[in-house]
Amino acid sequence: MSNIVELRDVVKTYHLGEGIKVEALRGVNLKVERGELVSIQGPSGSGKTTLLNMMGGLDKPTSGKIVIDGRDITPLGEKRLARFRREKIGFIFQFFNLVPLLTALENVELPMLFSGKLSDKEIRERASDLLRLVGLEKRMHHKPTQLSGGEQQRVAIARALANEPAIILGDEPTGNIDRATGRKIIRLIKDLNETLEQTFIIVTHDLAVAKASKRMLFMADGKVYATPPKTALTVPIQVLMEERRQLLLAELGWLKSSLLALKERKEEINPNIFSQAFSTYKARVEKIRKLLRDYATLQGGKGDEA
Amino acid sequence: MPRTLAVAFKIAYRSITRRKFRSALTTLGVVIGISTIVSLMTVAYGMRTQVKNTLNEMLGAGIIISSRTGGVDIPEYVKDIILNVSGVKDAVPVVTTMINVGDRPVLTIGINPEDATRLYRVSLEEGRLLRQGEKDSVIFGATTAATLGIGVNDTVTLSAQQGVVGKKFRVVGLLRAIGTGELNIGCFLTLDAAQELVNRKGYVSNILVVLEDPNLGESLEETFREMFEDANIVRQEEIMRQIDRVMSVINGVLLALGSVSLAVGALGILNTVMMSVHERRREIGMLKAVGAERWHVLFLFLSEALIISIIGGIIGCGLGLAGVYLIQWLVSIMGLNLTVPLLVAPEVLIGAFLMAITIGLFAGLYPSWKAANVPPVEALRYE
Repeated sequence: MSNIVELRDVVKTYHLGEGIKVEALRGVNLKVERGELVSIQGPSGSGKTTLLNMMGGLDKPTSGKIVIDGRDITPLGEKRLARFRREKIGFIFQFFNLVPLLTALENVELPMLFSGKLSDKEIRERASDLLRLVGLEKRMHHKPTQLSGGEQQRVAIARALANEPAIILGDEPTGNIDRATGRKIIRLIKDLNETLEQTFIIVTHDLAVAKASKRMLFMADGKVYATPPKTALTVPIQVLMEERRQLLLAELGWLKSSLLALKERKEEINPNIFSQAFSTYKARVEKIRKLLRDYATLQGGKGDEA
Repeated sequence: MPRTLAVAFKIAYRSITRRKFRSALTTLGVVIGISTIVSLMTVAYGMRTQVKNTLNEMLGAGIIISSRTGGVDIPEYVKDIILNVSGVKDAVPVVTTMINVGDRPVLTIGINPEDATRLYRVSLEEGRLLRQGEKDSVIFGATTAATLGIGVNDTVTLSAQQGVVGKKFRVVGLLRAIGTGELNIGCFLTLDAAQELVNRKGYVSNILVVLEDPNLGESLEETFREMFEDANIVRQEEIMRQIDRVMSVINGVLLALGSVSLAVGALGILNTVMMSVHERRREIGMLKAVGAERWHVLFLFLSEALIISIIGGIIGCGLGLAGVYLIQWLVSIMGLNLTVPLLVAPEVLIGAFLMAITIGLFAGLYPSWKAANVPPVEALRYE
C-alpha cells in the first residue's frame, strides 16, 4: 500500500454539444509509488492535461476510480475537492500561474492562508524557508513581472511545496523557459525528489525532463503506456495527410478552371499547343484524383468530393 | 478565515490600483451618484429644518384652539379658563381673518402688542410696533407692504368681509421678521382694533396655548377637547407632521432623481468587475487549483466592488456637501430670494454612504458569483 496514486479504469468523455463526444481518457490504469519522479510524454490531444486534471482533483472522471494518498477522491464534492487540492496536491504550470498582484513571498503564503492551519508568523517563516530552498531568498519581495521565467517557476515550485503535498503535478514546467534555465528547473525538481522524497508526476514534451525522471510513461489516444506505443504517431500522420489532401484539392480546383479557360479560347490557340496543354492538364487531374482516392481509403473511407 | 479575507482585500486593492484609470472612471460614476444625492438631500434637509424652525417660532404655541366654523366666535374670557388649567404657561387670544386692504384681501392678525412681544421675537424693517390699545394704527409685513405699494405713515382703508367697511388706519411700521423666520407677510392690528373691524367685540378666532412642558401636549389636547366640544384643537406637532409629510414627498422625488445617477454608477461597477473576472479567469482557476474555495473567490471580487463603492461613497459625500455651495451660488445668481441653508445632516451622509456600499455589493454580486463558479480546470487551459 505504498501507492500514493492509483487510477482504475478512469474514463473521461467530454460532450461538446450537438452530439459531438471527445474521449479524452479511455480507461487509464496507473499506479505511482511514494517518492517516484514520473514523466508522461505524448502528443497534443493524447489526454495528458486531462489526466493531470483528474489526479489533481480539478475535474471529475466520467467513470473509474481515483485514489490519492489512500483516499478515493471520485465522490468528493466541490468544497471537499478544494480542501483536498490544497492539502494533498501541488501544481506547477507551464505559464507559472502566479498571482500577478502578489509578491513572490505572498504567492507562496497563499496555499497556507487558504488552509489556515498555521499562524501568520509560521506561514511567513515557512514561505521564506521555501523560497530559500529554491534559491530565491533575494527576490522574495518582487512581483512576478519583476522575475524571469525561471525565477517565476521557482516561486511556483515553492508554492507547490507549501502545504507538504502528497504529490506535485507538473504541466510542462519547462515548456515556457529557455533550455539552460529549464535544466536548472529540472535539477531543482530532481533534488527535491531525492532530498524530500517528494513525489512528482510531470507531463512534458521536454526529453531532458523525461530523462531525469525515474519512470517514463507515454500517452496516446487517451491511454497510458509504459513504452512508446506505435500508434503514438498516428495522429500527426493523419494531420499531415489531411494537409496534403487540402493542397491537392486546391490544385484540382485550379486545374479545372484552367481547363475551362483553355476550352473557351480553343479557336484562338494553335491546335498543337492546345492539345499538348490539354493533355498535360488532364493527366495531372487524373493523377490527383487517384491520390485523393488513396488517401480516402487510408483514412477509412472518408468521402471524396473530387 | 479573517486572514484569507485580508488577503482577498489586499489582492482586490492592488487590482484596483493597478488599473488606475479604469478604477477612477468607475469610482467617478459612484461619486456622481452619491454627491447628487448628498447635495439634494442636504438642501432638502436644510430647507425642512428651516421651515420647521420658522413655523415653531411663528406659532410659538403648543396647542392652537380655533373656532370650528373658522369665524371669530370664541369668547375672549375662555383665555382665563385656559390659564387656570394646570400645565398651561400662557394663553394668547388672537383674531385671524381676511381683511381687504383697499380692494386686495390680506391675511390679517389681531393680537395684543404685549402678547406678541412676549410670544415672539419681532424685528422691524422700519417704523415702530403697535401700542397697547391703539385702534387706528396698523403694521404690515415688509413683503406685503411692497406688493401693495405701502410705506410708513401712509393711510390705508381696511374693510372686513363681514363688518365695518372703509375704516382708515395709519401705517406705523413694517415688519422684517418674527424670530429667525422670514415672516414678513400679512397685516397686523391690535386685538381690539381687529375685533371692532369684524364687529365681534369680546370674541376671538384662535387661542394660542403655550405649554409648560411640550410633553404635556397630548394630555392637554385631550383636556381641551373635553372642555370645548365645539372647538378645533390642533397640536403644533400635528402641523409639523403634516409639513413633514409634504417634505418627505419632495425628499422622495429628489431621492429618485439622485438614484438614477447612482444606478449608472452601479452599472459601472458591474461592468468593471465583469471585466476583471473575464481577464482573470486563469488566475481564478489557479487560485482554485491551489485550494481556494468558492467563497474565497467570491469575496475577492466582491472586495473590489466594495472598495470602489467605499471610496466613491466617501468622495461623493464630500463633493455632495461642496455641491450645496454650488446650489447656493446658482440660487443667488438666478436672483431668487431664497436662502439655501447648508446644514450637515449626519443621517444624510451616513445614509448616502450606506447606499454606496449597498449598491457596490449588489452590483458586485453577480460578477463575483460568476467568478466563484469558474472551474479550476481553467488554470490548465492555455488559449
